[in-house]
Amino acid sequence: MSPTDSVPLIQVKNLKKYFRTPKGPLHAVDDVTFMIKEGRTLGVVGESGCGKSTLGRTILRLLEATSGELIYRGEDLLKYNKHQMKEMRKRMQIIFQDPYASLNPRMTVSEIIAELIKVCKTLTDKHAIQEKVRDLMDTVGLAQRFVNTYPHEPDGGRRQRIGVARALATDPEFIVCDEPVSALDVSIQAQILNLMMDLQEERKLTYMFITHDLSVVKHISDDIAVMYLGQCVEKAPSRELFRNPKHPYTQALLDAIPLPSLREEDKLKKVIKGEVTSPINPKPGCRFAARCPYAAPECTAQNIPLRDQGDGHCVACVRYPA
Amino acid sequence: MEIKDLHVKYKTDEAEVFAVNGLDLTVREGETLGLVGETGAGKTTTALSILRLLPSKVGEITQGSIRLDGKELTKASEPEMRRIRGADVSMIFQDPMTSLNPVIRVGDQIAEVLELHSKKTSRAEIDKRVDEILKMVGISKDRKHDFPHQFSGGMKQRVVIAIGLACKPRLLLADEPTTALDVTIQAQVLEMMKELKEKLNTAMILITHDLGVVAQTCDRVAIMYAGRIIEIGMAKDIFEGKNHHPYTVGLFGSIPDLTRETRRLNPIPGMMPDPTEKITGCAFADRCQFCTDRCRQQEPEEYWEGSHMIRCGRFGQGKEAEA
Ligand SMILES: Nc1ncnc2c1ncn2[C@@H]1O[C@H](COP(=O)(O)OP(=O)(O)OP(=O)(O)O)[C@@H](O)[C@H]1O
Ligand SMILES: Nc1ncnc2c1ncn2[C@@H]1O[C@H](COP(=O)(O)OP(=O)(O)OP(=O)(O)O)[C@@H](O)[C@H]1O
Ligand SMILES: [Mg+2]
Ligand SMILES: [Mg+2]
Repeated sequence: MSPTDSVPLIQVKNLKKYFRTPKGPLHAVDDVTFMIKEGRTLGVVGESGCGKSTLGRTILRLLEATSGELIYRGEDLLKYNKHQMKEMRKRMQIIFQDPYASLNPRMTVSEIIAELIKVCKTLTDKHAIQEKVRDLMDTVGLAQRFVNTYPHEPDGGRRQRIGVARALATDPEFIVCDEPVSALDVSIQAQILNLMMDLQEERKLTYMFITHDLSVVKHISDDIAVMYLGQCVEKAPSRELFRNPKHPYTQALLDAIPLPSLREEDKLKKVIKGEVTSPINPKPGCRFAARCPYAAPECTAQNIPLRDQGDGHCVACVRYPA
Repeated sequence: MEIKDLHVKYKTDEAEVFAVNGLDLTVREGETLGLVGETGAGKTTTALSILRLLPSKVGEITQGSIRLDGKELTKASEPEMRRIRGADVSMIFQDPMTSLNPVIRVGDQIAEVLELHSKKTSRAEIDKRVDEILKMVGISKDRKHDFPHQFSGGMKQRVVIAIGLACKPRLLLADEPTTALDVTIQAQVLEMMKELKEKLNTAMILITHDLGVVAQTCDRVAIMYAGRIIEIGMAKDIFEGKNHHPYTVGLFGSIPDLTRETRRLNPIPGMMPDPTEKITGCAFADRCQFCTDRCRQQEPEEYWEGSHMIRCGRFGQGKEAEA
C-alpha cells in the first residue's frame, strides 16, 4: 500500500465555484475542503451533476474558482499567474470524463498524445517525441496502427486509452481522473485500473479519482469523499466508509448498487424518490433533506457543517453529534 | 425483431474494419435483452444497423437481414426508415450529444419530441409534460431553459433518456443509457424503463457493461465478442448456469468484488483481435486457456442447451462432459 508518512500534496480549502445563470448563481462547488497526501488516491463520488467534474477542473484551474484556497506543495495556486500556471500544467493533468467530446476530432491520435509535450516543451526533439508517443501507446495498450488515425474512428474504450496516454505524456505527479473507466467494459476497466495502480506505484502518482461506480472507487481509493449538490457530505477512509456509511445519502448510494446476481436477497431494494433540489440559489440547510427518509425540521433550519466523528470519518448530518 | 447473419464493415482511408461478422439475434415482443461485450465488439454498430444510421459512405451492411414484424429493414427506403425511427424504434445513444442540439434549450427539445408524437395537445399541456418528464429523470424544472452545455454529462444523458421514453416506442435500443449516472438515479431510470415496458409492452435491447444492471433488469442476455454472439441465454442461464464461454467467465472474473479486498483485478489477458483482419477459427482463441489447434482452424459451432447457446469448441458433440 501507499506510504503512511507522506505529506499533503494538495489541500483544497473552502473552495467555491459558482456559475452565473439567468436565475441566479448556480452553486456547482460549494465550500469544499479536503486534502490528498502524496502518492495517495482520493475517490470522489456523488450524484450526476453534483459538481465532481467542476471540482476537478477548478483544481486544475481550467475553470476559475469563485473563492477558496488551493495549496499545492505549500503554495496557493489560485494566486499564480498565467505563466506560473503553465509551468504547473505539466505536473498536474486530467483524464476527461467524456472520451467523445474531449478529443479534438481534427487531430490524429499521435498529435493528441504529443500535444501537451509540445505545449510544455518537456521534449523538443521530433524523434524523441515520436518515441515517447509510441511508448505511451504501448503502456496503455493501443495498437500502433491507430497512430495516424482520427479519434472518432476507434471505439469508446480505445478513445479513453488515448486520454490516459495524453495525460501521462508530460510525466505529471498529480492526475485528476474524471470517470476514466466509466465507458469501458469490465475487463478493459480492470486492465486500466491495474495499469493506473501500477503507474501510481512506479511513479508515485497522486490521484483524485472521480467516479460514480462504487465498486471501482472502493477498489482504487485510500480515502473517499461523497458529494451531494456541490457539497461534501461525508469523508472517510475507503474501508471505513463502506463498512460504516453514516450519511443517509451514502447509505442510499450503497443500497442502490445493482449486484450481478439473480438471488432474491440481492434484488435492488426500494430506491429513494423525491425531487433533486435545484443548485441555483439553494436554501440553507441540508440539500439532501428533500429526499431523505430521516428529514426533520432542524435539517433545513441552518447549514450543517462537516463534523469529525473520530478516526477521520467526517459527516454533515444532524443525526450525528457535533 | 429478428437479425440473421448480419455483417457490417467500415471503410476508412487506412483499412477496412469488420465490425459485425455474422450476428444472429432475436428480440421478442416485450422482452428486455441485455447486450454485453468488450469495447469494440460491435454493439453500437449493431444498433445503428437496425436503425440504418451507420455513417454514410463509411459504414455498410454487407450481408444479412434485419426484420421487424416481418418487414425487411435492410432494404427499406429512407422515408420508410424515417417513419420507423419516429414511431416504432427509438434509440438512446451512447454519446448524449449525438441526439441533443447544442443551440436549443433542453426543455424545448423535449417539447419538440412530444409535439411530434401527440399532435393535438395544447402548448400548456406539453409544458406540463416536460416538467413531469424532467422530474422523472431527477432534474429540477427550473433548469429547462438551460442549454445542453450547461448540463453535466449525466444530466445530458438523463435528458436523452427522457426523450427516448417520451416517444413510447415499440422497440427501444438503449446504448449504455445509465453508464454516466450515479446509482440512485440509475435505479430510478431503470425503474422507469421497467414501467414503460409493462405499460406499453416495449421491447428493449439494453447495451451495457454493467453486469449488475443486466442482472437486475434483463430477461435474456447476449454476450458479444468480435462482432458475433458467443453466448446467449435467459438471465438464469448466464448468471447461474454451469457451462459458459471462456470469455464470459473472464468477464465475470474482472468485476471488482465489493465484498472482498483485492489489490489487483483479474482482467482477461490480451486484447480483442484487430478488427481489420478476417479471422479464421475462434476469435477468442489467442486469449483462451483452453485453446486447441482445432479452435484456430475452424469456427466453433453453436451449442444449444435449452434456451442457452454457447459458441465454443469445448461444448457440443458429447464434449460437455469434460467442461
Ligand atoms: N458552463 C456551465 N454553465 C452553467 N452551469 C454549469 C456549467 N458547467 C456545469 N454546470 C452545472 O454545474 C453543476 C455541476 O456540474 P458537473 O459537470 O461538475 O457535475 P458532475 O458531478 O461532474 O456530474 P456527472 O457525474 O454527470 O459528470 C451542474 O448543475 C451543471 O449543470
Ligand atoms: N465510423 C467508424 N469508422 C471506422 N471504424 C469504426 C467506426 N465506428 C466504429 N468502428 C469500429 O468498429 C468496431 C465496432 O465498434 P462499436 O462502436 O460498434 O463497438 P462497441 O461494442 O459499441 O464498443 P463500446 O463498448 O466501446 O461502445 C470497432 O473496432 C470500431 O473501432
Ligand atoms: Mg462529470
Ligand atoms: Mg458502443
